[in-house]
Amino acid sequence: MRKLFVGLGLLLVSTFSQAAELDWQAVEAKAKGQTVYFYAWGGSPEINNYLRWADKRLNSEYGVRIKHVKVGDIAEAITRLAAEKTAKKNSNGSVDMVWVNGENFKSMKRYDLITDSFATQLPNWQYVDKTLPVDNDFSEPTLGLEAPWGVGQLVFIYDTQTLSNPPASFNDLLAYAVKHPNKLSYPKPPSFHGTSFLKAALLELASNNAPLYQPVDTQTFTTISAPLWDYLDKFHAVAWRQGKQFPASASETIQLLDDGELDIAISFNPNEATTSQQSGKLSETTVAYAMAAGALSNIHFLSIPWNASAKEGALVAINFLLSPEAQSRKGDLAIWGDPTVLSASHITGSAKNTKLFKSIPEPHPSWQTALEAEWQKRYGH
Amino acid sequence: MLLAAFGYIPAIDQYALSLDGFTQLLAWPGLSQSVVLTLFVSVASTLLSALCCFAILQSCWHSRWWKQIETLLAPIMALPHVAFAVGFAFLFTPSGFIARLLGEQINWQLVHDQYGLGLIAALTLKEIPFLLFMSIPLLKQLNINTTLITAQSLGYNNAQAWQKIILPQWLPKIRFSLFAVMAYSISVVDVALIIGPTQPPTLSVLVWQWLNDADLATLPKASAGALLLLLLCLLVLLGIRLTEWIMTVKCRTWQSSGRFSLPIGGKSIITITYLITLTTLPMLLLWSVAQRWRFPDITPSTWSLRFWQQEWYYLLDIITNSIMIALVSATIALFFAIVIHEHSIKASLNKGKFKVPRLLISIPMLAPQLSLLFGMQVATLYIAHQHYYLWVTWAHTFFVFPYVFLALDGPWRSYDQRLDKVGASLGMSPFKVWWQIKRPLLLPAIWIAWAVGISVSLAQYLPTLMLGAGRISTLTTEAVALSSGQDRRISAIYALLQSITPFVFYIIAIVASRKTGSLEQQRANSASLTSTNRVTTHNVSISK
Repeated sequence: MRKLFVGLGLLLVSTFSQAAELDWQAVEAKAKGQTVYFYAWGGSPEINNYLRWADKRLNSEYGVRIKHVKVGDIAEAITRLAAEKTAKKNSNGSVDMVWVNGENFKSMKRYDLITDSFATQLPNWQYVDKTLPVDNDFSEPTLGLEAPWGVGQLVFIYDTQTLSNPPASFNDLLAYAVKHPNKLSYPKPPSFHGTSFLKAALLELASNNAPLYQPVDTQTFTTISAPLWDYLDKFHAVAWRQGKQFPASASETIQLLDDGELDIAISFNPNEATTSQQSGKLSETTVAYAMAAGALSNIHFLSIPWNASAKEGALVAINFLLSPEAQSRKGDLAIWGDPTVLSASHITGSAKNTKLFKSIPEPHPSWQTALEAEWQKRYGH
Repeated sequence: MLLAAFGYIPAIDQYALSLDGFTQLLAWPGLSQSVVLTLFVSVASTLLSALCCFAILQSCWHSRWWKQIETLLAPIMALPHVAFAVGFAFLFTPSGFIARLLGEQINWQLVHDQYGLGLIAALTLKEIPFLLFMSIPLLKQLNINTTLITAQSLGYNNAQAWQKIILPQWLPKIRFSLFAVMAYSISVVDVALIIGPTQPPTLSVLVWQWLNDADLATLPKASAGALLLLLLCLLVLLGIRLTEWIMTVKCRTWQSSGRFSLPIGGKSIITITYLITLTTLPMLLLWSVAQRWRFPDITPSTWSLRFWQQEWYYLLDIITNSIMIALVSATIALFFAIVIHEHSIKASLNKGKFKVPRLLISIPMLAPQLSLLFGMQVATLYIAHQHYYLWVTWAHTFFVFPYVFLALDGPWRSYDQRLDKVGASLGMSPFKVWWQIKRPLLLPAIWIAWAVGISVSLAQYLPTLMLGAGRISTLTTEAVALSSGQDRRISAIYALLQSITPFVFYIIAIVASRKTGSLEQQRANSASLTSTNRVTTHNVSISK
């Protein structure tokens, strides 16, 4: 029996190491001349510009071009991949590289839309900060199917001129809304930031948040989530437009903060206040902060579809985006300000100054779907 | 799409045909509100724009202002829906320009409001010029002046004559344009995303969101939704046709029941339409050069050309792309439209010949784009899908064609067939008749139809996105992708460029059609041409 286990174990190891062998020189040689179609959210001029820079650098260094396919929501790319899977298009696909995490990654993994495990074999993997939870994505093991790119933390932004003492917990937030009606809101779920707001609130409000890190149990869902709906019923009554309408996205909350319609905006970038000030979207007096309990944190990733046409090009591009040079620039507050996934010792410039807030890990992804559906049922119409 | 609706999606291991998609769709909370809202928006905006259009025609047709109205039509029509929606939002949000002028946030909601009133207003404003434009050749056919004189001699005033005599004639002729307006309002995604309601959104937006959901299990629901959208569209089409039939055939007493007419303020409507539409342009321009423009400042506090400089280098590529596709698809569509028009004229003269049914021609315009594209996308995947430019241009041609066809419809019908006979009797070959007599006469209309086709192609969002697989970016796809980031400054740049490009082509078309002369002038010319012809034939016979 024991022999059998050892044998099985060996078999497993050998299959893994087989998949693991990446001859990097061959990859770079093959990548030369390839164009990588990179599907990524295209709503931010800052991010778009950063990717233009990456394209230039990759082209001069490796002869690889990346073409940013700007999508409004990355799920568009996932549906496209699904359509290609339907048509049994197993090579020469239209997507070479995607920027994903959470629910989208789970979908890609479940429906087998990702290429073989690659992340840990990238040369620049050595610089990655392994103390960050880079091996799981919303508690879904990544198994090297995606490489970490940056860190997101759910933060709140306010203007020190209108607000001196920002609410430090969700209960404080409600108290503030009662005192100042029509001034607070959150992005409408199922938008990424909207659902994150729900999760963060429930993590604080639930009497015991351990079950939130387990798959949802339909039996107990009602009792566990009850405090959240109770909270939202009260919150909506005094929220912006009486909770009959919500901002469509986090970017809209920033616009509304600047317009003076909202007192607090939401972002997943702890440096958002600074970068928005630099680009002229927010006033100099705005500050980002996290709730006293900490900030809901996750990592966003890069992955490669199973049928990518420029697989080698995508590998080279991802490896480059993980380099100290690319990560330092990405973290530069005047460029994008996205926190790095590398160990601090490899980072240079203003990206070094980024301080992460105390982090709260993401609940199990099944909660996301369950909360979104229940929210939709209660408030979505 | 039908297959997907019934649950056949191999990619996610769903092989069994089932009604799950429909059950999921029906179980979605808020579906009924969304359907009611969609119907309300589409019916209200269609009726309102038809009404306003007629009011404008009634009070301004061949009045002193008519020339100005007609000249301004082109630039107004050139403004794409998305660009207009962005500008409309800048004006009317609670902290928008109007609020800034008033100095305080306004309480009423027009952008993302619950009942879709803002969406109705924007669609109506945008469709009035289209209907006006489509009415011009129709009214030219109707002999308005004679009608009015006859009516006056019978003691009816102008308004009564318009409403009782011209309306019933105008309505059946404008029917297809109305259908187009209606179908557009039911299936529009981009404009509804920018200013439409969100709680719940209109059905087309819902379907679009489901189609793009990370959870692939929503695909059957999305497909079922797309089918429902198609159904709604047919339903409303029938509704419009029925209303028209009741008004003009069944219940005609209002036409002869006395001298009652409704007062309509056509002049104020046209002023408001033009005013709002044209103010969006300076709005966009201001935002595009603003660095900081905070509420309640009336003008930006810091200015910057940064965004223009940043984008400039990349714009050239995008603009070339957009224009190339537009030129090719509009030209192909124009060619086919002319061929089919010629064919149907022959077919109507010759009973036995097959006539292309008008409904078939207008399918791309009437069926919801989303429903059609879903099928097109899957179809291209099975064939060689990497010819992205080919597919995108094909899809554009497909959607541009009915508009070009419609734009040529009036002029083609008002063409005097006797000219052909005169030509033929002079021994000219049919092609020569067409090339030397008909073509020069209809050239102004052809130019305009071409410009219409280009502007329709330039505004296509879904076909480019879905069939281009991200290989092809146009001004419109960039504009919509960037709008998800809510950066007003960069949105303004793209909206502005989106308006300028078709505008340039309208100007080219107008100049070209002026060069070739207006229809009336041409008619005058042709009259003299035929008389000279007669003279020459006379001479020929003398010399014989």
